[in-house]
Amino acid sequence: MKKHALLALASCMAFATFATLAHEGNESGRGKLGTVKFATSCDPKLQADFERAVAMLHSFWWSAAEKAFDDLFAKDPTCAIAAWGYASILMGNPLGGVGSAPADAKKAQAALEKARMIGARTDRENDYIAAVSAYYENWENKPEKERQLARSKAYEALAAKYPADDEAQIFNALYIAGTQSQADQTFAAYLKAAGILEPYFKKYPDHPGVAHYLIHSYDAPPIAEKGLAAARAYAGIAPSAPHALHMPSHIFTRVGAWEESAATNLRSIEVAKAGEIDEGYHGADYAVYAYLQLGRDGDARRTMQEAMTMKSKTTRAVWLYAYAAMPARFAIERGDWWEAMALPVSTTAAPFTDALTYYARALGAVRTGDVAAAEKEAAGLAEMHKKLEEAKNRYWATEVEVQRLTIAGWIAHKKGDTEEGLKLMRAAADLEDKNEKHIVTPGRIVPARELLGEMLFEQKQPAAALKEFEASQIREPNRFRNYWDSARAAEAMGDRAKATAYYQKLVTLAAKSDGSRHELVLAKMALTQR
Amino acid sequence: MRGTLTVLAAACFLGLPPSAAGDGYESKPELAARDPDYAAGKKAIEEKRWEEAIEHLGKAAVRDPDNPDLQNWIGYSNRKLAKYDLAFKHYKRAIELDPRHRGAHEYIGETYLLVGDVASAEKHLAALREICLLPCEERDDLERAINAYKK
Repeated sequence: MKKHALLALASCMAFATFATLAHEGNESGRGKLGTVKFATSCDPKLQADFERAVAMLHSFWWSAAEKAFDDLFAKDPTCAIAAWGYASILMGNPLGGVGSAPADAKKAQAALEKARMIGARTDRENDYIAAVSAYYENWENKPEKERQLARSKAYEALAAKYPADDEAQIFNALYIAGTQSQADQTFAAYLKAAGILEPYFKKYPDHPGVAHYLIHSYDAPPIAEKGLAAARAYAGIAPSAPHALHMPSHIFTRVGAWEESAATNLRSIEVAKAGEIDEGYHGADYAVYAYLQLGRDGDARRTMQEAMTMKSKTTRAVWLYAYAAMPARFAIERGDWWEAMALPVSTTAAPFTDALTYYARALGAVRTGDVAAAEKEAAGLAEMHKKLEEAKNRYWATEVEVQRLTIAGWIAHKKGDTEEGLKLMRAAADLEDKNEKHIVTPGRIVPARELLGEMLFEQKQPAAALKEFEASQIREPNRFRNYWDSARAAEAMGDRAKATAYYQKLVTLAAKSDGSRHELVLAKMALTQR
Repeated sequence: MRGTLTVLAAACFLGLPPSAAGDGYESKPELAARDPDYAAGKKAIEEKRWEEAIEHLGKAAVRDPDNPDLQNWIGYSNRKLAKYDLAFKHYKRAIELDPRHRGAHEYIGETYLLVGDVASAEKHLAALREICLLPCEERDDLERAINAYKK
């Protein structure tokens, strides 16, 4: 017993060093986080704190959870299961595919080693510690995919051994979702995880992990609709967890639920103003995108302008992207090509964000017929592409290549080479379809397939144009420009019923519009003349 | 200090671990490009130490097995050692991982020329013509190499 206590004290001291300055950030962990039940053999006085720490873990509240588990161990040095929570939070986002940072992996491995030395008082707790240890075993020499699979296998075994332990089932589902390959368009792992979680969503409507992981398990265009209930619930379950405020908008954006996306992002911006400036920009970009689809241009402008008053001191792409994207969206979604042409160019640490401005300027120029100006901007875009290629930033180089193909296509089209224009524009749309949208953005400045449809429409091919607009709706649903374009194409091909349906969709979508879009006026006129 | 804390706190807000601030949201080069063995392998290539390059890049590839750049460089180093079978194996793997990898298409095309297989080189030139709708050096370089070979 004495040896046990000494070991515990030593471990406590070791653990104390795990707490870092990171905890001075958004670490409070206060407020409403939902309800979690997780039995432990630790000091009963700490049981509520332990369950609160697990609730933070479920809401990916990284620094707060790390500190909470660290504190638990400091208060009860025999609480070995605290090391499980500590190591779990240090794995990082299990859905991100990146995994633990090397320094965090070392911290987690040290904590788990201490936990094994102390030994938990129950087999169940030792099994939890063993399950998370599977991820860190020989961590240095394994690719992340192998670690993910080892973790999933270990948690599957844990869940099978303790079928009545609901937390084991819920964590098992999370780590199954973490094995989802982006190349698997059947989303087998996501759907397997969702299948486990759905009954728990009914059983525990206030559980932060169940709602949160359901959102992630449905975060792909063909299945996003299934995540709406969880998305609508999550912010209400854990309104004090910052991640819970923004995360639902990933589903709302996928399904075109713009009112809800704007509302939840406005809440996230409010929290961000207290010191999370970069994330304030991120939420603002999502909100601006949502407002523009609703034709609420005044709200979009106001949200953008308020965001622009926040001063970030970082060079993180998360805010640089939003800073460049918002004004580009604002101009292009409204078809204000002259405003797009006049956007100021920036040079930042993130060339793909600078490329957004070149792209918007080029698109603006070419759509006004100023081919020479478009060619000049295309050269800037080529320069950004080169920088990204040199930096081996494959994903963003591809995104900028889509933009380059788009601009080259429109230049050819405007010069009268309609065939070349379509060839390039179609290549852009096909390439974009293969490059999944990045989570930093609610959507591309304008979907390439929509632009292909617009080019076909200009080339007097309305049926082919409508086909592209409707194809674009599958991945980018409920968009203002798309409905307008679709209605015009249907009208031009003489399909009045379809045109009416799209005009009606547009009017319904923009029911709360501030009335600044001429397309809406024309749609209403078309409907009254029917 | 304040800036660091801001980044750490911001990472927390987006559901990111403090020490991995920005993961998932940031502009980052491929994982391999941050690997010390990748850097050592590239340096060895610059200094034409091919065996050493293969050793370092191979270690980096264990940690990042799906990285086409690594496979491409391993292929290139083997080609320089005239180990063409191995070179083809790694170039093909690079193209399998990224069918639009312009460098791998160019290099494997050039390697086919080294073994006298012009038809296969031309297949990769055709692939580059499909990929490079906008001008690209890889297509031009392979085209020049094939033309020179034919003369």
